[in-house]
Amino acid sequence: MAFNDSLREMFAMIELEMRRLRHDRTEIYTRAVQPILWLAVYGTVMSHVRDIPTNGIPYIDYITPGVLLQSTIFVSVFYGLTIVWERETGILKRLLVAPASRYATVIGRAIASGVRAVVQALIIFPVAILLGVKFIANPIYILAAFLMLFMVSGGFAALSIFVASLMKTRERFMGIGQAMIMPLFFASNALYPITLMPPFLQSIAVLNPLTYAVDAVRGLMISGDVANVPVDFMAVIAFDGVIFIVASISFRKIIE
Amino acid sequence: MASAIDIRQLTKVYDGKVNALNGVDLTVKAASIFALLGPNGSGKTTLMRILTTQIHPTMGLARAFHYDVVKDDDQVRKIIGYVPQEMSVWTDITGFENLLIYAKIYGVSSVQRKKVIWDALQNMGLEDVANGPVKKYSGGMIRRLEIACALLIKPKILFLDEPTLGLDPSARKAVWENLRSFKKEFGTTVFFNTHYMDEADLYSDEVAIINQGKIVKTGTASELKRSLHGEIISFCLANNRINSMHSSATPLRLEYEILTKIRALNFVDDVTIHDCVMDVTVENGEFAMPLIIDVLRSEGISLEWIRSTRPTLDDVFLKYAGMRHMQDQSGYHYGI
Repeated sequence: MAFNDSLREMFAMIELEMRRLRHDRTEIYTRAVQPILWLAVYGTVMSHVRDIPTNGIPYIDYITPGVLLQSTIFVSVFYGLTIVWERETGILKRLLVAPASRYATVIGRAIASGVRAVVQALIIFPVAILLGVKFIANPIYILAAFLMLFMVSGGFAALSIFVASLMKTRERFMGIGQAMIMPLFFASNALYPITLMPPFLQSIAVLNPLTYAVDAVRGLMISGDVANVPVDFMAVIAFDGVIFIVASISFRKIIE
Repeated sequence: MASAIDIRQLTKVYDGKVNALNGVDLTVKAASIFALLGPNGSGKTTLMRILTTQIHPTMGLARAFHYDVVKDDDQVRKIIGYVPQEMSVWTDITGFENLLIYAKIYGVSSVQRKKVIWDALQNMGLEDVANGPVKKYSGGMIRRLEIACALLIKPKILFLDEPTLGLDPSARKAVWENLRSFKKEFGTTVFFNTHYMDEADLYSDEVAIINQGKIVKTGTASELKRSLHGEIISFCLANNRINSMHSSATPLRLEYEILTKIRALNFVDDVTIHDCVMDVTVENGEFAMPLIIDVLRSEGISLEWIRSTRPTLDDVFLKYAGMRHMQDQSGYHYGI
C-alpha cells in the first residue's frame, strides 16, 4: 500500500515536470544554445588541432556525446534550486504531509529531471545532425544512449537534491553548484580521452559518473564500439543507487 | 462529543535547548472550528507541524482520531489536509493542474478525479479561473486554491497555518465563507493558527491561547471574554454641576463622595474617575446602568453621555499572552 502511494507520487512528480515544461518552453530552447555553440564554434576550431587522439573520428562527432550529456547534466546539477525554492515556499512541507514516503518525493523528482534531460537532448540531437555529425543509424543503440542520458541525469539531479538538503539557501547552493560544474566536465572524457590527462586528474575522471555515461553514449551513437557499454551502465546504475539512497536519507533535513 | 485531536503533555525541544513546546495538553472536538492564538515564537507552528507529522515531538503524545501522529503517521496523513503559512502551489502551471497533481498524489481514482477537482474548485469559488496560470492569481485566489488542494480528499481534519495572513478583508471573508460551508457539508474539523483575533472570534467554536510553549487558556471566544472581566460602563459627568453644586466642597471631595457611594453598590466590581469620566466595572451592564444613574441623580449630577464596553478577544490575548515589551525588541508586532 505504502509502495503504491510512493509510486503514484513519483508519476505525479514526472507529470508535474512535463506540465511545467509545456507551459514554458523557452527554457528548453535557450538552454540548447550553449551546447550548440560548443559544437559549432569550439568543435569546429578544435577539429583543426589534430593532436587529440580520437581514433579517426571527426572531432565534432567525438565531442557530441559529451556536449549532449553536459547540457542535460548541467540542468540536473541545478535541479536542486527548484527544491530550495519549494522549501522557501510551503510546497515541500505540503508534499511531506501527503501520504507517500519521503523517498518517493526525492526519487520522483530525480526521475522527472531525467525525463526533462531527454527532452532537452531531443532538441540538440537534430541540430547536431545538421552540423554534420554522423550518428550510428541503429535505433536500439540510439534508444540505449538516451536511456543512459536519462539515468545519469536522474542521478545528478538526486545529487543536486542532496546538496540542496544540506545547503538550504539559494546563494550557498549556487556556490556549490558552480564549483561542481567545471571539474565534472573537464575531469571526464567529454572533450578529450582520459589518457591525455595527468595521473591525478585521471583518477578523478575514473570516479566521475559522467565519464562512463560519455563512454557509453559515444560507443552507442558515434564509434559503434560497444564493448564497454555494459560496464558503463553498471557504473551509472551503482551511482544512481547510492545517490538515490543518500539523497533520500538526507532529504528529511531539508525541512528541519 | 468525540474528539478529533488529543494532545497530552506534548514537548518539543530544539537542539537540546530551545523549548518550543513545554507540556501542551489540548483536546479538539470533532467537527468544530478550533483557533489557536499566540504571539510569534509561542509554539503555534511547531505544534501544527507535529500534528501534521512533519516533525516528531521530544516527549508526550498526540492523536488525530485515535491515530498516533508518530507511530501511525501514514494513517494520519491520509485523513488530514494541510495548508502551510507560506505559499504552497506551483505558480507555473494552472490551478486545475495543481489540483490534478495533488489528486494523483492522493490516489483519487481516475473515474472520480474530474468531479472531485471541480467540486473543490466550486467549494472555493475558483471555477472561472481554473484554467488560468496561477502566477496571474491574486493573493486571495492563491490561498483559496491552496485550501482547495487540501480539501480534495475531504479530510477529516484540516490544518491551516495563518490561513488569511496578508489578505485584504474581502478576500479573508471569502476564504472563511467558503471554509464554513465546506465544514458544514462534510463535518470537517478545522484547526487553525492565527494572529487575527476578530477571525477567531467570528469563526471559531473554540479558542486556545498558547504562550511560551504552554496552553494558557481554552474556551469559547465568549467564555474567554467573560473570564476577563465584565462590562465597563463609562459615565461622562457634566462638568459644570460638579463645579457649582456644592460650592463649599472642592471638586475633588465630591468625586470622592461619588466614588464611595458607587463602590458601596454590591454589583460594582471597580470604579474610577478620570477627567470627569467615571468607569464602572460590572458583571451585567444592562442591570447595573439604571441603578448607577439613580445614585448619580440623587447626588444631583447630570450626565453628558454613557458608553458601555465589553472586553474583546484582543484584551483576552493581551492578558494571557502579553509579554509585549519583550517581543517588541525583535521587531515583533501583533497582527491585529
